Amino acid sequence: MEDDTRPELSSQSKANGFPAGKVFFSGIAGLALAVFINSSALLADAERLPDGRSRSLSVAVWTPIEAIASTLKLTWPRTATDFLLGRSEDKEHISLHREQMASASESETEERLVLSIEEEQFLEVHPDEDPTEILDSAWNSDNPFTIWVLGDSMVQFFGETFVMMAERSSSVSAIAEPKLASGLSRPDYFDWPTRISEVMAAHDPDAVILMFGGNDAQNIRTDDGRWLKRFGAQWEEEYRRRIAVVMDLAAANQERVVLWVGQPPMREEGFDSRMQQLNDLYRAEADERQGVHYLDLRSLFTDDSGNYARYLPNSSEKLVDVRLTDGVHLSHWGGEWLSKFLLNEIKKSPDLEELWNQ
Amino acid sequence: MLFPTLAFGLFFVTIFLLNWLTRPHPLIWKITVFGSSLFFYGWWNWRFVFLLLWAIASNWYAGAQIDKYLLVGSKKSATKWLRTAIVGDLVLLGVFKYYDFFAVELSNLLGSRTAIPLLELTLPVGISFFTFQAMSYVIDTHRRLIKPMPILDFAVYLSFFPQLVAGPIVRASEMAPQISQRPDPRQVASGEAFQLILRGLFKKVVISSWLASAIVDDVFANPESHSSQDVLLGVYGYAIQIYADFSGYTDIAIGVALLLGFRFPTNFDRPYSALSLREFWKRWHITLSSWLRDYLYIPLGGNRGKNADTYRNLLITMILGGLWHGSTWNFVIWGAIHGVALVVERLLPNWQIHPVVRWIATFHIVCFAWIFFRAESFSSAMDVLQAIVTSPGPTELADVLLILILAAMLTAQFIPKFRSEDFKQWLNSRGILTQGLAFGVGLVLIDIFGPEGVAPFIYFQF
Repeated sequence: MEDDTRPELSSQSKANGFPAGKVFFSGIAGLALAVFINSSALLADAERLPDGRSRSLSVAVWTPIEAIASTLKLTWPRTATDFLLGRSEDKEHISLHREQMASASESETEERLVLSIEEEQFLEVHPDEDPTEILDSAWNSDNPFTIWVLGDSMVQFFGETFVMMAERSSSVSAIAEPKLASGLSRPDYFDWPTRISEVMAAHDPDAVILMFGGNDAQNIRTDDGRWLKRFGAQWEEEYRRRIAVVMDLAAANQERVVLWVGQPPMREEGFDSRMQQLNDLYRAEADERQGVHYLDLRSLFTDDSGNYARYLPNSSEKLVDVRLTDGVHLSHWGGEWLSKFLLNEIKKSPDLEELWNQ
Repeated sequence: MLFPTLAFGLFFVTIFLLNWLTRPHPLIWKITVFGSSLFFYGWWNWRFVFLLLWAIASNWYAGAQIDKYLLVGSKKSATKWLRTAIVGDLVLLGVFKYYDFFAVELSNLLGSRTAIPLLELTLPVGISFFTFQAMSYVIDTHRRLIKPMPILDFAVYLSFFPQLVAGPIVRASEMAPQISQRPDPRQVASGEAFQLILRGLFKKVVISSWLASAIVDDVFANPESHSSQDVLLGVYGYAIQIYADFSGYTDIAIGVALLLGFRFPTNFDRPYSALSLREFWKRWHITLSSWLRDYLYIPLGGNRGKNADTYRNLLITMILGGLWHGSTWNFVIWGAIHGVALVVERLLPNWQIHPVVRWIATFHIVCFAWIFFRAESFSSAMDVLQAIVTSPGPTELADVLLILILAAMLTAQFIPKFRSEDFKQWLNSRGILTQGLAFGVGLVLIDIFGPEGVAPFIYFQF
């Protein structure tokens, strides 16, 4: 600190330089090499961008380059390296339709039937026991009440806190699975219906918490390749269909607690308004289903005037930051608030409150 | 507009061409570079361009007034202008960066019923960097270390896009001659620039991103659910991540500036090879530590007074240095840890301690302080510390690749500078076409080993 020397300018012999024109063409040659070899990956990235000018420009730039590179077989070094690294572009993007959902639901129903029969048999063997006690003791450390939290980056910021708080009971097992930058608008980037179907089939959770929307206020491409303009009538119809698919998958098991968490208020006015529009759609779809509970977060994260607030008073009336500086995500404290709120909602279901008293 | 994006690639190719084509015509060149920098800055949020313009106009005017009064021998008036300019810069920084922090603390102190209204403003990108550069300009003008710059030169200096967002903090004395003198267009340091850009991209895109997703984010999000070993690895991982991230960004900035004919000062010099905290600060974010030394520590009295005064000055400098990074108590604590460690180093008798022991102690103090730097709150930092001590168990996150990367990045800190420059020398000695092809191959490899695709929707709503 008390050394008086200034950082030295990085040394370099001037004799090593080249004329700017040559450097320009050399740099362009290097960039061209990188662009042609990586063109498939660059085009794939561009196609995953949200619909808009940026995406159109990127796709317009990379498509002909990728076509030329593929024709000239210039992409093979990248393809070969990806193959060696175990990466593949041939991911199966399953577009879930109601027919597929129905078959998934049927198989789950069969499994639930088997479980029900076993439970009945258990009841018959011990007729003198209180049924409530049996139900309570059905969940223990060997057979925990399982909760899955699925969603976009919002889940990243409260999911782990929720897991920690939920697992304070040894009879509860919780898993948070966020996928950054995902949502229901772009199944080509991440196919949530498929993932949710997998989770339901493989783990049959007792409760599911879903939170989407932060990345969804964008144009949607339909299966037949048409782009639907954000918040237009057709867009709304398609987006509601996607919400319905996810809700039906999660609520296929009628005993499962399904909580759909709405978007909290956002700092930026336009973004907040878009999130409220999405919240209205989530609420409307949830209202149509008995097994899905929509949770509004506005009252939890607004000040006395009902506006977005980064700082809010906690139980001891001290101001704490509940949101991150981006005006979107939840802070550590915000994550704790939401986790407590969610656990309280789960506890409202019959017989579940005792879980955290064990 | 971030460096590793298509948007920046297209922007830079255009600016490179315009820069060298307009260089023979100083006025057109300055307008071109200034306009490009405003475009670059406005890409994030065009409203903040006005903030940058205000910083340029107010500090340039203050600099001119300081010089005018110094020339007529009125040091008092010059000092008045200096104070006005510094207060203006600090108000700018204070309103956008610190107001809410202090308002919340004060409200909590007084009870929230007497809550002070909060501004809840978006933090303008790079404000900490350009206000510090602006302050160094008016102070150096007052110290007669530099002559006041013409308005357009100063505008180019303060807004120059390669260093605008994340440094390095370049002094006016380093930039002014480079702006006023035309560099030789036949001697563009392409080899060095390509090497710096590739090195920076590799550190930022591959190492930093990978460490964040492989261990760091997970460990700091929920330390309680990890074993001590994993949490400790997460802390080491963060030490490497932040180095790779920040020094990578600086490497790219220096490389990009070189291609435009500007030479920036070195900002990182293998900081984790330091055998003392004092040495660490000569190697880490050098342009900030030298700024703090020249404009804060020395004016406070430096080490010229009694020992107790020196310790006080060190503590004040490091705590304010911590606060410069962000408006939370964690940054204050981070600065205080470094300040206390620097004081303790001075207090210790001059024992002959084995270098390995000194390195271990220095590295772990730095890592300990990083916990507060990275954790979202004080309690989160304490959770990390508690987990390191109280969560025995096998590691679940460590694998061969993670250990190899951590070990390789740490080992690289000890490679002598002349050795680490072998690639640069090799590249410099090649023909221009070979340089371009090596640059291209490097980009391909970085894209292959980097994260799969750029996250498509992050923050697109802004």
